[in-house]
Amino acid sequence: MTLPLLPTTVIGSYSMPEWLERAKNDYLARRLSKRDLDDMHDAVRKAAIKDQESAGIDIVTDGELQRDNMIDYFTERIPGVQVDLGSKRFYYDFYDTEVRTKLGTGSLGLTEEIKFLKRFTEHSTKVSVSGPHTLVKRIRNSFYKDEAEFALDLGKALNRELKEMVRAGATELQIDEPYYSGFPEDLPWAVKAINACTEGVDAHVTLHICYGNRYGKPSFEGSYKYLFPTILDARVHALSLEFARRGEDDIQLFKEFKAPFTLGLGVIDVKTQDIESPALVADRIRRALEVVPAERLVINPDCGCVHLPRDVAFAKLTAMVDGTKIVRTELGK
Amino acid sequence: MIVHINHISQSKKGGKKSQLGELASLVTGTLVDLVENGQLDARIAPSLRIHLDWIQYKTNFRDPVIIRRTTDTSGKSLALAEVAIDLRQCNAAELPLQLERAVKSVNSPGANAAGDAGRFYLDEYRPYRDCMIWDFNRLFWRHLGDWEAASGRGFEAALPSGSSDANRPDAVKDSVVEFWDLLKELDGKGQLPAEIPALEIGVGSGTRAAAWMDGFQAYDKEQGTTYYDRIQFLLGDYSPDTLARAVASLERHAGHVTAAPLDALNPFKALSSYRFKVMYVHLTNVYDNLPFDDLIRRDGKLYLVEVRAYLSSAAVERLTADFGIKREDLHSAVKTLLDGGPHAVFPGDKGVSFWRCFWDYFKLEERLRALDDREEAHVPPGLSWSHLEDLLAEAPEDVRFHVSRGAAESFANTLPLLHPRGYLQVQDIFVEDMDEYRKGFKGPGKLDGSLVTWVNGALLRAVGARAGYDVHFRPFTHRPGSKTTVMYTTQRP
Repeated sequence: MTLPLLPTTVIGSYSMPEWLERAKNDYLARRLSKRDLDDMHDAVRKAAIKDQESAGIDIVTDGELQRDNMIDYFTERIPGVQVDLGSKRFYYDFYDTEVRTKLGTGSLGLTEEIKFLKRFTEHSTKVSVSGPHTLVKRIRNSFYKDEAEFALDLGKALNRELKEMVRAGATELQIDEPYYSGFPEDLPWAVKAINACTEGVDAHVTLHICYGNRYGKPSFEGSYKYLFPTILDARVHALSLEFARRGEDDIQLFKEFKAPFTLGLGVIDVKTQDIESPALVADRIRRALEVVPAERLVINPDCGCVHLPRDVAFAKLTAMVDGTKIVRTELGK
Repeated sequence: MIVHINHISQSKKGGKKSQLGELASLVTGTLVDLVENGQLDARIAPSLRIHLDWIQYKTNFRDPVIIRRTTDTSGKSLALAEVAIDLRQCNAAELPLQLERAVKSVNSPGANAAGDAGRFYLDEYRPYRDCMIWDFNRLFWRHLGDWEAASGRGFEAALPSGSSDANRPDAVKDSVVEFWDLLKELDGKGQLPAEIPALEIGVGSGTRAAAWMDGFQAYDKEQGTTYYDRIQFLLGDYSPDTLARAVASLERHAGHVTAAPLDALNPFKALSSYRFKVMYVHLTNVYDNLPFDDLIRRDGKLYLVEVRAYLSSAAVERLTADFGIKREDLHSAVKTLLDGGPHAVFPGDKGVSFWRCFWDYFKLEERLRALDDREEAHVPPGLSWSHLEDLLAEAPEDVRFHVSRGAAESFANTLPLLHPRGYLQVQDIFVEDMDEYRKGFKGPGKLDGSLVTWVNGALLRAVGARAGYDVHFRPFTHRPGSKTTVMYTTQRP
């Protein structure tokens, strides 16, 4: 499918309805069956796809609302990670997890997401996975000699999965690494783990690095300066970064370091319910265009809309699309 | 009939029967007598609850014996009724008669437990949050100087320690060192912001903020760092006069201090430009002076406590005698007092004296109104029913507790200001878990012309958890016997 100039996409999860939160908690408390919860998940995924299509998003996801959070969805699936299923009462909390043996090589079952998307949308699609660095920070390591070795093995496990997803039809993949910004000293081995993850994966891969969006607030603060030049070694096609909330100063780093990546430009602040105007979105894109050519820009929110009410999330995505259209028109596209 | 003992007192010495024990025996003995004599309606007995309280505040809003009737959501009477006895106020000679009157009045709509036919009602039944006690509270802070002049002491002297615990030099020093340590850690990681905003909400005279800034400046110098240069101290308060006074007391830190007029219920509204930037927020004795509601759970059902302000007929007689004011003019006198202050009622000292007497006589009747399931109207702004669900999940089945709605609203509207590594510290009187409500009365009480209520820390913990913060409590150790607690936040993983 041919994408327009300045294609729009989303990051992370779509707006989480409060009723679904209650249902997830009920499931944990054994008051709701897995089957009923799965039915609810499928319904909200379809609704999330529809909302994105209605807003005019070019590359859509399934909204990821079947995921409790960006950690547990993966730790439950990675062979070799022991999960204490009784360790949380509130769905958004993290399970206690531990790795005591070398990770296994079984499937994570993520191809289901590709199949689901292909069944319910004609749009271009994207599936995201949490990256090895992020997962390492949440799983207690009782086997590997250090985090770097553990991350490398996680990278290999994810690599097998990404290849399966490509075989199932995935063309656009994203790896989320929000913890880089809290542990900049890890970057050298974290990039090696990413490269293990993407090795031989025949798809367009975006690496999303933000400052966290847990509970709708940043987990870290600082500047993207820490990424450079190490990140230039990452074998990915695009970097998706958070700018709307933090300001665009760090875009200059792309120029300064001649970064070869496509830039996923965060133009929507997902940590406020204030809805951006299309004009503001257009302004943000224009400023980025001073540094990165239009052919290497993708337009997206700073991070997931999971903590926003649905009407706000939808309005923000619509504003993002409308703002992008303004710039496309200015560019004659 | 169920008797609830709502206090745990361990003051009893040796094997001697305590005075409270004797009073409690008298209550149960009297109840049995009433049943046997046929004076307690057999239809009432099964749904009657007797509550034995010990109210820690010497001046409060309750008579020694009160009744609480229940209504459904529309105000129609229900069978459940409660008689609540403050054992602290009771004496053995009067208690049997008081109890008899109360029990007999349960089924007589309009009758009160004291059998006082001349009771003067100042208002309708309302939730605590909408009760006129808040008008009196505002009156107190607006005319603090008049009250202090009349009482001959500053308002802090009314506190149990005679001054604010938060101003104690060793407590301030600990706070300074803790904050400096955080800055040092961030500095080590190259993550120290160029500007370091700190915020005090409810600044009082500015004493604490000034001591903190003095302490930080000195400690920073002692450690050879220059973090003080980056500090921007925001003084937040709703009162321009208070802010001006506080700013003046911080004059020596003038380049680092900004006055921020704000509503304590929503600091974010005034300070939204500081979203995710403030490294340190501190409040002392603010939350306990913000509106609250009381909820009661009985047999799995929730009730909202509604209160009605009144003066006893004896109080009215004294007011009319002492101030020459007619009974029929009392409503307008109260309105004038609350709108225009004490001197609008009577000139000079007489106005303040009227105010102080009136407040002394001021009492509240209570009734319980059943809540519909998930009735959102009673959930504080910014919170959802889920917060209450979290709270109730850890609550005892039969419990009366505060919904510290003002504190919760303020807390929820302060958290978005915090830098990812920033924290909030609140020094106040907290109920740390719901079970504590079964063990003692937690307010409201009168504190000079204002009121005081313990803050439901468990609610704030639930609010914090949904906003990404763990809430912790640690005892205030710098004054032995202090009942205040330091609540602080850490980021949830």
